[in-house]
Amino acid sequence: MALRLRMTAFNAQRCRLRHLGRKLDMCTAEATASLLQAEETFSACLARIDALILKPLLQAEPHDQKGKDNFKLLLLLNDRFQALWNFTEENYRILKQKCSTSESFCIQDFYTVWKGDLFLSLYIQYFVTFANYVVVHGFEHATKSRSEAWKHHKTVLKQFLTDFTSETSMSLALYTVLHKPIRDHVEQYILLLTKLNEALKEGPEKDLVTSAIKEYVKLESFISQVLDEACFTKALWKSLGYKFTDMLCVPERRLLEDSRNLPISASTNRSDRILLFDDVLVLIQGNSFQSFDLKLVWVDKNCREKSAPGVYGLHIITPEETFFLSAKDPQMKAVWQWKLNQAIRQALNGKRDFPLWGKTGEGTEPPSCRFFTYVFRLEGKFKNATYEGKWHWGKPHGKGTLKWRDGRNHVGDFKEGLEHGFGICLVPRRSEDRYDCYKCHWYEGKMRGYGICEYGNEMVYKGYFKDDLRQGFGILENPSADHPFKYTGQWENDKKNGYGVWDDKDRGERYIGMWHDDHKHGQGIVVTQSGVCYQRTFHAGRMVGSGILLLEDDSVYEGNFMEDLTFVGKGKLSFANGFILEGTFTNKLGQGLQTQGILNTSNEQLDDRITKAQLGLEEFPVEKRWKGIYDQFLEFIHSGCKEEMEESFTGFHIQTSKELRKSQEYLFCQRGTEDVSWKMEDILEELVQHQELKSLLPYLDKALKSSLHPLGKLLKALMIAFQATYSGIGANRHLLTMAQEEVKYYAKKIWEFYQGLLHLALEQKGQLPTKSADGETNDQKACSIVLPLILPCFYPELFMLYMLYHEREDDLYCQGIVDLSLFPDIKLLEFLDVQKHLWPLKDLTLTTNQRRSLIKDKCFLSATECLQKLITTVDPREKLVILQKTYEEIESTVSRVVEKDYKLPMDDLLPLLMYVVSRAKIQHLGAEIHLIRDLMDPTNQGGLYDFLLTALESCYEHIQRMRLHQRENCHGTHNS
Amino acid sequence: MMAIRELKVCLLGDTGVGKSSIVCRFVQDHFDHNISPTIGASFMTKTVPCGNELHKFLIWDTAGQERFHSLAPMYYRGSAAAVIVYDITKQDSFHTLKKWVKELKEHGPENIVMAIAGNKCDLSDIREVPMKDAKEYAESIGAIVVETSAKNAVNIEELFQGISRQIPPLDPHENGNNGAIKLGKQTSQTGRRCC
Repeated sequence: MALRLRMTAFNAQRCRLRHLGRKLDMCTAEATASLLQAEETFSACLARIDALILKPLLQAEPHDQKGKDNFKLLLLLNDRFQALWNFTEENYRILKQKCSTSESFCIQDFYTVWKGDLFLSLYIQYFVTFANYVVVHGFEHATKSRSEAWKHHKTVLKQFLTDFTSETSMSLALYTVLHKPIRDHVEQYILLLTKLNEALKEGPEKDLVTSAIKEYVKLESFISQVLDEACFTKALWKSLGYKFTDMLCVPERRLLEDSRNLPISASTNRSDRILLFDDVLVLIQGNSFQSFDLKLVWVDKNCREKSAPGVYGLHIITPEETFFLSAKDPQMKAVWQWKLNQAIRQALNGKRDFPLWGKTGEGTEPPSCRFFTYVFRLEGKFKNATYEGKWHWGKPHGKGTLKWRDGRNHVGDFKEGLEHGFGICLVPRRSEDRYDCYKCHWYEGKMRGYGICEYGNEMVYKGYFKDDLRQGFGILENPSADHPFKYTGQWENDKKNGYGVWDDKDRGERYIGMWHDDHKHGQGIVVTQSGVCYQRTFHAGRMVGSGILLLEDDSVYEGNFMEDLTFVGKGKLSFANGFILEGTFTNKLGQGLQTQGILNTSNEQLDDRITKAQLGLEEFPVEKRWKGIYDQFLEFIHSGCKEEMEESFTGFHIQTSKELRKSQEYLFCQRGTEDVSWKMEDILEELVQHQELKSLLPYLDKALKSSLHPLGKLLKALMIAFQATYSGIGANRHLLTMAQEEVKYYAKKIWEFYQGLLHLALEQKGQLPTKSADGETNDQKACSIVLPLILPCFYPELFMLYMLYHEREDDLYCQGIVDLSLFPDIKLLEFLDVQKHLWPLKDLTLTTNQRRSLIKDKCFLSATECLQKLITTVDPREKLVILQKTYEEIESTVSRVVEKDYKLPMDDLLPLLMYVVSRAKIQHLGAEIHLIRDLMDPTNQGGLYDFLLTALESCYEHIQRMRLHQRENCHGTHNS
Repeated sequence: MMAIRELKVCLLGDTGVGKSSIVCRFVQDHFDHNISPTIGASFMTKTVPCGNELHKFLIWDTAGQERFHSLAPMYYRGSAAAVIVYDITKQDSFHTLKKWVKELKEHGPENIVMAIAGNKCDLSDIREVPMKDAKEYAESIGAIVVETSAKNAVNIEELFQGISRQIPPLDPHENGNNGAIKLGKQTSQTGRRCC
């Protein structure tokens, strides 16, 4: 065993003295002389041992394996011996030389003090090696093989040992010769130093010598302990059968306690002997034994074994076994407990104490948390798996790695022996050289909570698990397969179940609807790349009954139809022009579509109720969509918002999608190093601080934008769900209401979640949540506070839906705008019947060549420019403010023209607004207006903003009607 | 504290009959006209007590020109009351009034309170519409009728008081829907309006 000594205090004192260099008085000189004399004798003794014993012993190398091993130890012992001898003699010579040339001495000359640590380490090394040799019966073996030669040396040995008799065995003689003179010399050092110490006056030199003496005394007791342990162990090996010795005996191993020596028994009566070594605890029963690495042994003294009074037990805990050791009396128990703990602590430290049982007071208890590697043996989930990581009372607990022989491995957090917390698990696929990688949260050994699973076949699942199965909201995607797909929605028992969106990328189709056992089942909407969409009932993946098919040319079919959209059976086809065909449809191969029925031509108008039909409203009420997302977040609050559970409920913090694609190392290595200000407790604290509306808004905005804040994570999850439904082929005008309702509901749920968090935060501070005094309902608050903040996240898809929905009106309006744009300003003002006294003609600066009637796009320019800003904003509130400013610009222009405050009545305002709208030329004005109306704060209803929006809408309508009118007039003239 | 009820009132009538003058007079006589934001004379508000409630009138003007007539439904939807104004000196404006009443009956909000105001009663010497005609007509349709003068502030307050009285008080047990703004919620107007 490697013994290293650190004598820091010793060294520090020595340094101070080096600078002092004070001369010692005569007493010191005397001590120096004694030292020289002692060293001379010692050196001579060592020389004799070397020549008469070690040299002959080393001359013949044995041939058997055991002998060879022992011989190696002997060689090492010889090395240690030579080192000790050389070092002693070298120092002795230097001192002697100085004595002969100089009269003055200083403390540095006393090299046993000056070089104390070097001396100590040489002695320690020698005796440790010596003890190892003793334990393996080295001397016995040596004397046996060389017995003839040794007889000649008997007399030589006598010279060293006064008490040596002929009865003493040769091995014992060797043993004594090789350690006693050296041990005695340590004693002599102590005597010399003590004398020197007595002669010294109080001062740093004396302190130095005192501490040196202490170390040599420790060395003395170390030597005696080492030799005792060696003999104790040697005796054990002798008494145990070969079977055990072969397996247990190693030179460095020491027996620390034996149940024969200090009785104790194992609870189960299965062992008849208990041996405590410095590295293992061994239970022997009959011909077999069990050994437990001390690094993974925990001793619980508070063992509650009430069943047997009068028995004093210790609970021994190891990774796969626990048992009791029971002693007859409390003293016995205490000694075993102390020895066990000492042994465990020293084993964990990787070195023995100095002296071996020295530290009685401090650190007797080994730490309960340890880091170690262990291979599980017993049947079970972990059989043959190697665990490397943190342990606590016999169980993997904390961070660790578990590796199975089949290549499976799990890196992550453990708790009480099971995977618990975040972990990354690699599972090799049976047929291919690939792995399934689960980056997931575990709960008591099973996957639970959010996880990302990258399957070896390129499939990726991102979502929630429970009991190792997909459960709750999740996205399963296979982008590179033969039939690429993506499912975003609800799972149950590893199967698609509930509301979900399925993208079939091959067919260019999206299914939005209900699922059961991995099949489309229940109501569903299918949107296709071409813009066709239909809604109908599915049963176990097949379409049943009749449905409604909305074709891209605005015609609508109600009835039964096939997956390739051919009509079969009874149905009603409503054409865009209002004609209705009702009958029975057949579609035979090669004959095309055939029908027998009645064509009703009485309706000659487009019916908006059909062409703009909104799907999914009753079938998928907004409360039932994405329940899996909300559930997790609300559950997070109900569970008390624990920091360590945050990710499991709310998903991983991933700043960019790029990071998500990185290998699993990212998630593991960089976790927890993020910005600490977003710790759960800080978040809750901040919530309490920002309750006032004024600071709440910026706080919510920041939180929603953060990828670490639970609110931001919720928003992100909802964005993913929203895009999965409405982006790409999901941009279909028949889904507008679904989408619009959904965004409003998101706001409601986010507000609800915020309120839940706040409530919890207040509760944790012992405060009572204050009831909102302004009497606004939660829905109103959600709409007025949250909706504007989250709207930008959904705006592109949502606005696209509005544009598609209002496409026809917007087209008509645009044509109207184009017509009006041909008019010069004055012509247009006249055309719109703006009263002449309101014409802002004096604003116009004319060049000589211009006539007023040719001026274009100059009048009410400020108002026009203001209105154009409408498209640069997202928030309905901001859009309404722009509208109000536009009005103010008109009013100020008019007031300037009439040179007084002029309160515009509607008779004047509407034509002016009409003028400004037609000049602003906003392309998708219809979509803008309706988006504002649908998403603005409902408290605006009937109020000023509502009025302004209505005024704008009436302009929009009027421009369309003018266009229609004009078109009809054109037709009229053509006809006539 | 008295509950505030917001009541949307829309103004209908030919151009030049003095729709906005009536409202200006009504609103300007009041102390708080500076506080409430307005859109010129086109959108104004005024709060008056009525019983144990406060009625906040949100008054929407409309353009009286014939060509904008078809836009009126956008303005009067969700109104609790409509003030239809004619000029007693112009028979034509009384005809227009009748058209408005008819339209409101057919397409207007249910239970809308209608108030007929014969404006410019200060010019009764050049009157074309006899008071009697108006009264009879109003009775036949169950509307309030007063002759007003925005110029001389005659009967303006009375006109709106009359409306207030006609608004049924809020039933505390039920969210009554008598056209009061907040209650006549326009659910899901995602442009599913017919145009």
